[in-house]
Amino acid sequence: MAMEKDILEHRLNINRRRFLSRLSLGIGSIALGSLLIPDLFSGSGSESEADFIPGIPNFAPKAKRVIYLFQDGAPSQLESFDYKPKLREMMGQDLPASVRGTQILTGMTANQTHFPLVGSFYDFKQYGESRAWVSDLFPHIGKIADDICIIKSIYTEAINHDPALTFFQTGAQQGNRPSMGSWVSYGLGSENKNLPAFTVLLSKGKGNGQGVYSKLWSNGFLDSIHQGVQFSSGENPVLYLNDQPGIDRRERRKMLDKLAELNDISYKEFGDPEISAKVQQYEMAYRMQSAVPEIMDVSKESDDIIKMYGPDCLVPGTYAANCLLARKLSENGVRFVQLYHQGWDQHSNLPQEMAGQAKDVDQASAALVTDLKQRGLLDETLVIWGGEFGRTNYSQGKLEKANYGRDHHPRCFSIWMAGGGIKPGIVYGESDEFGYNIVKDPVHVHDFHATILNQLGLDHKKLTFKSQGRRYRLTDVAGNVVKGILV
Amino acid sequence: MIKSKHKSFAENLLFALNIFIIFFLLFGSDIVIPQWLQPVGRLHPLILHFPIVVLIMAMMLEFFRFKERFSTEKLYHDFTTYLWLTGAIFAAFTAIMGLFLSKEPGYEGSTLQWHKWLGAGVVFVSTIIYWCRSAGWYNVKVARSGAAVVVLSLVLAGHFGADLTHGDNFVLAPVWHPEKKLIPVDRALVYRDVIQPIFESKCISCHNLDKTKGGLMLIDEKSILKGGKDGKLIVPGQPQISLLLQRVHLVAEDKKHMPPAGKPQLTPDELNLLYLWVKDNADFKKKVIDLPVHDSLRLIASTYLKPAEETEEKYDFAAADDKLIKKLNNNYRVIFPLAKESPALGVNIYNKSTYQPKTLEELSAVKKQVVSLDVSKMPVKDAELKTIAQFENLHVLNLNFTDITGSGLKELARLKYLKLISLAGTPLNATAVKQISAIKSLTKITLWDTGLTDAEVQDLQKHNKNIEFIKSFKDDGKPIKLNDPQLKNTTLVFAKSIPVQLSHPIKGVELRYTTDGTNPDSIKSAIYKPGLELAQNTSVKVKAYKSGWLSSDVVQFNVFKSTYTPDSISFIAPPNTKYSADGAKSLIDKDLGGTNFGNGKWIAAQKNIEIYMQFARPVDLHTITINCLRNIGSQIFLPIGIEIWGGADLNHMKLLSNVIPPDAKKDDPAMAMGIDCKLNTAKPITCLKIIAKNIQKLPSWDPVKKGPEWAFMDEIFLN
Repeated sequence: MAMEKDILEHRLNINRRRFLSRLSLGIGSIALGSLLIPDLFSGSGSESEADFIPGIPNFAPKAKRVIYLFQDGAPSQLESFDYKPKLREMMGQDLPASVRGTQILTGMTANQTHFPLVGSFYDFKQYGESRAWVSDLFPHIGKIADDICIIKSIYTEAINHDPALTFFQTGAQQGNRPSMGSWVSYGLGSENKNLPAFTVLLSKGKGNGQGVYSKLWSNGFLDSIHQGVQFSSGENPVLYLNDQPGIDRRERRKMLDKLAELNDISYKEFGDPEISAKVQQYEMAYRMQSAVPEIMDVSKESDDIIKMYGPDCLVPGTYAANCLLARKLSENGVRFVQLYHQGWDQHSNLPQEMAGQAKDVDQASAALVTDLKQRGLLDETLVIWGGEFGRTNYSQGKLEKANYGRDHHPRCFSIWMAGGGIKPGIVYGESDEFGYNIVKDPVHVHDFHATILNQLGLDHKKLTFKSQGRRYRLTDVAGNVVKGILV
Repeated sequence: MIKSKHKSFAENLLFALNIFIIFFLLFGSDIVIPQWLQPVGRLHPLILHFPIVVLIMAMMLEFFRFKERFSTEKLYHDFTTYLWLTGAIFAAFTAIMGLFLSKEPGYEGSTLQWHKWLGAGVVFVSTIIYWCRSAGWYNVKVARSGAAVVVLSLVLAGHFGADLTHGDNFVLAPVWHPEKKLIPVDRALVYRDVIQPIFESKCISCHNLDKTKGGLMLIDEKSILKGGKDGKLIVPGQPQISLLLQRVHLVAEDKKHMPPAGKPQLTPDELNLLYLWVKDNADFKKKVIDLPVHDSLRLIASTYLKPAEETEEKYDFAAADDKLIKKLNNNYRVIFPLAKESPALGVNIYNKSTYQPKTLEELSAVKKQVVSLDVSKMPVKDAELKTIAQFENLHVLNLNFTDITGSGLKELARLKYLKLISLAGTPLNATAVKQISAIKSLTKITLWDTGLTDAEVQDLQKHNKNIEFIKSFKDDGKPIKLNDPQLKNTTLVFAKSIPVQLSHPIKGVELRYTTDGTNPDSIKSAIYKPGLELAQNTSVKVKAYKSGWLSSDVVQFNVFKSTYTPDSISFIAPPNTKYSADGAKSLIDKDLGGTNFGNGKWIAAQKNIEIYMQFARPVDLHTITINCLRNIGSQIFLPIGIEIWGGADLNHMKLLSNVIPPDAKKDDPAMAMGIDCKLNTAKPITCLKIIAKNIQKLPSWDPVKKGPEWAFMDEIFLN
């Protein structure tokens, strides 16, 4: 019987293309290969891609889990972490053309005849030992300045929301690639077999919003078990997880057992690995039925915790509630928790709208970092806070002191990271005095991805998956680990 | 064939050259090479390839010269002879050029001596054999050993020469890195582990004991401080005037640019490091970690070093059997390898209900391999700490929210590699924590939400400087504002009465409300209790209170009575297709649209809206309320007039009400509001027609100045 199965597997696995590609392996192709891949035979590159084993890190990880607090819509760096007093001094004056350089503008401001510089409506203060500048909109994040690493020199290639967001989430602008969370799930496997390795939480502020779509947490060409599972607020946090009325746990168990028998017959006949994957997913869903309600229950959280995250953390669907939930999921071994908070697209009315957005996220973001720290989990959990690009230093539309807008700016913006082997209490990179161009230590999106994978014990060059005839990476063919921010 | 005249000339030349070489070797130290001859010397590395090839060929022919097949071949003999002669002359010329070159500054040391004497040796031996090879005693053995000696000397001379030109280990350097291991930051010295390696990889091939170009050696502190023939290399603290920095920053085309063109250049990071090191007084003893945390020198240097915390912890125990790991792994006890090819294992345990002491005991089979264990929230008792203490290589232990008390903790003192332990949410005491603080390897203890007081933790911290004790988030003591009360009702429209369902996410909150339009206060206003029913159109204001918290904002909501529901409803004049909600029935679905006009619950048009309703049985109507939206900024105006027509059937309708809402003003706030229409009839009604008239003439202050304006409605209440 076993023999028969092996033959079947073999038949399924071998096809003409694979046969030909095996055949071509020889001294010649090795020599050619070494010309094409210069470090093929040098010390560092001696392990070939083939010995990446899904589920096992390449080297001992610093971070076991990631919580990505995505600020969807692109919060302004100039009202948050990149302090530019010069912009206030030059309020209303035109952005010098030499600073703008060859930057392509969006259709929303390309027709403006003037680019009046505008300084932050909000003041900045220095916090902690690191003396990092943080705007008055984020007093709680200011208080954890010594636990976080602010990167003021990140940049991207896309200037519009969807491609930029997709780039940050999947490493490519066009979509249909696996999300970063899916790559991590594929690379490290799940820690807790009773929960999905990659979960997604959504919340929405009152500011001008931009959509998020399920393609952002798609598994792309990876196995479907690596897809992000969206937890929603309300009675059914995970859709289709509850038993239908009239079916109890025992009935469900019996049904699954019978189904497994049928699937087994099918597997024996066709040997398709997707069949056994399906059986595993049914089993996991069954275990999730008891694990998820426990996670979603916030009634046992102490008053201290509620005060720390802010009372909104008990209102399902808010950013604060999602932060609390993110901690609980992460604490229970979910590898990648992806939050999105919508409403950061302040083309107009920025001072007022951004204050509302900041109020939504400031306290809970800081609380999450502190909460992980006091549980001894910050060392092994990487927290990331940031949007898909930055905003222009000049006003979009009419400029008033207390009312202005900012357009999209991909060339230079700020994010912060905490825990997971990232150096705490530092500010990395610098922008020019206009906050427009990077002058020191630029960090590209690919570098950002490479660094995250590195912290998880994954070499971004080795974490590959072959699809449609070529190998893919999260970092495409680029990316350098940003060593300067590592402990 | 070469004429014998030429041959004897060549032989004489060879003899002369040999004499010259001997002369040079004996009196070389007194010879000064004139400048015009230097280029000749510098051709040495070019010319040397000829004698190597020619002589090796000659030696091969000589090696087989006595073979029967060749011994009688005249051509073979002549060719060997001429080849030999040519090779020897080339070798002599090469040697002389080499001797010239060796007089240039920068060439000295034992490698040069070996190269010089071996090179000269090749010339002498090949010349001597050339003259002896016709003698009677010159047999196979002599010929072969002579040829072998020449070839061997050639190879060795070539090797030492290459070392001189390209530096040691030039050939194998790309593939063979002798003991090049990264030093951890915490043990690294700035000079020894960061700066010296730069000199070694980019400078030392020309500035060493053997080859001291420019009179400079970069081999140790003494030689570096001494400098070269142009003076001191380094002015500590002043990189701007230090020769070292000047030379490396010259443009690449400059003759004095270092490293010279064609040699591996310094990277921007390396340039930076040299600059920062000199700026930092070119200290030879300073440790990297003695520099300030954010110091650029430290930051860049750390990228050349291994992180201080041992990421690549060396585990010298053997790996556990894969089958055993597989057997122990289950849905609630996850065992995973730390990394590829690492014997170390991590274990996470989940699900309270399936946890038993056995869950840990079974892990004894891999007790050597477990380096991290997470049992947080499991009902782990003190007794089980004994089991955990067996995991001798444990580095990270998470006991958060387990059932342990302080008393069992001393068992863990045996864990001599334990680095991080998390004990949050367990009822500990200071004595117990003291027992484990004695573990030398510990770096962090998490004590949030334990029984320890702040003073106790501070005391522990004072006595254990190497351990970071994490107590807790410090509340600044300021009261926090409560969030808003929540209304759980799915609809606010009712026929007879409505139960008000209020709640608040925080336990112990008091909700106080008013129904008279005033703001609630914490003393007089009624306290909300479930069961509150309202039977009239009411505006409710509610506010949350709790001691120790600031009260919430006021939340206001209105409930609407709608006694009758028509049996059919349709549009006479249809609304705009973009704002037609779910058709006319949306107006009687008891679902209000709020203030967001784009949410698909509002009906709107830029002209009059006309609605027709019919009742199966006549109803006694008195008031009709139409809920409309006003948002001047978005060009949404209240209707300028509402006409209500009714009667027993379609053909007998009378005007029952004609309401003119107040004129719109520029600063009218955006809000939804009901417009009441009182009917002046006592007769029951079966048919009803409502006409909401849209504003025709734009007000002069209209911000957009471009009509037509919009009229919006979301619900009609019939009483």
